[in-house]
Amino acid sequence: MPGPILSEHTPHDEAEELLPWYATGQLDEADRAKVHVHLSHCAHCRQQLALERQLIDEFQRIVPEVESGWARLRNRIQAPTPVATRARRSSSSNPFVEAWSLLTRPAVAALIAGQLAFLVIAGTVLVSLGQPAYHTLASPPAPAAGNVIVMFRADATEQDIRKAVRSAGASLVDGPTPANAYLLRVAPARRQLALKELQSDDAVQLAQPIDGSGS
Amino acid sequence: MTWSGSLTTAGTGIRRSPQADDSELLTRVAHGDLEAFEHLYRVYRLRLTRFLAALLKRPELIEEVLDDTMMVVWQTAGSFRGSSKVSTWIFAIAYRKAYKAKARWPDPVEDPEQDDRMSTDPGPDEELGKQQLRAALMKAMDGLSVDHRAVVDLTYFHDMGYREVAEIVGCPIDTVKTRMFHARRRLKQAMSGSLVDWI
Repeated sequence: MPGPILSEHTPHDEAEELLPWYATGQLDEADRAKVHVHLSHCAHCRQQLALERQLIDEFQRIVPEVESGWARLRNRIQAPTPVATRARRSSSSNPFVEAWSLLTRPAVAALIAGQLAFLVIAGTVLVSLGQPAYHTLASPPAPAAGNVIVMFRADATEQDIRKAVRSAGASLVDGPTPANAYLLRVAPARRQLALKELQSDDAVQLAQPIDGSGS
Repeated sequence: MTWSGSLTTAGTGIRRSPQADDSELLTRVAHGDLEAFEHLYRVYRLRLTRFLAALLKRPELIEEVLDDTMMVVWQTAGSFRGSSKVSTWIFAIAYRKAYKAKARWPDPVEDPEQDDRMSTDPGPDEELGKQQLRAALMKAMDGLSVDHRAVVDLTYFHDMGYREVAEIVGCPIDTVKTRMFHARRRLKQAMSGSLVDWI
């Protein structure tokens, strides 16, 4: 948004604009020399430079007290991948364990309540998968079963959803359910990759594999 | 909680990593080296937290966006082609993530008593004056738009030149200069002369 200052540029304006970077030593030689010469005959800019240096000094005394931990991020990286989840399933086939693993990811406190809701919702959807689908006598053979369950963020637009599904190379099998979950089908061979893509998509709140689908 | 409320004045001491080290670390990260990633994380944690604290007014969002940023670094390190500095690439990711987070979670309502609390800290007159000055500075920052705060923070704290700032926030160089000019004017006006008393 170029303002009136830039449209009426005088050497003085130009030098004054560059003062912050002159003060931090971040100008190239040409700019630095230009400002240096201007300062030699402009008392106003010399005063402004003193102000800049004071501002910078004060700024650098301020550091955030927000804690952030490597352990939290490492846990997130090492969270079970779909492959690991499948391997583990030989000893535990409870799909709720997967949803729980998502909930135990370190997250924002404000999101915890929402994630608990997702646990219930994901469980509901998973249970519904075990129920026989209703077909009329004339209906065609049942389509391929979904092998991924996805929930999108509340503010995800239709375009976001379409983009996420396409990027993952998935097709929509069912949904939205009353809980706004979607069942997707991806080629079994690339389900791991698809899940990774979905889980890293900003529009996606939850993406989990659903086994028993032949994948 | 406001931007100023999420900060202390405990002093800095953040170390800057040489660019060559960053590139080497990122190369190792691209090959799935978790130890290198931990090192990179520790190099950037304070810098990014500081930057995000200038953009976001919810502390819990700062942590989330920091982690989201570093997750993108972990997952896409292999796509870094070296056309910019590693720090520019990482800060640009953080800036985009912060913008998305702000869209999802609007800033909280300001606490009108906050400034009073900050100004009643005990201390010698000079120290009290500096605390008041710092409080005024932080309050003035709160009054700026996120675009202006980003430019101010990257310039004053992270020692970045205007070209690098422009690359991070994704705007023309002249826009960076203009934002900085207006932000400085606003900061000085808001402090209403208190800074001048100390120089």
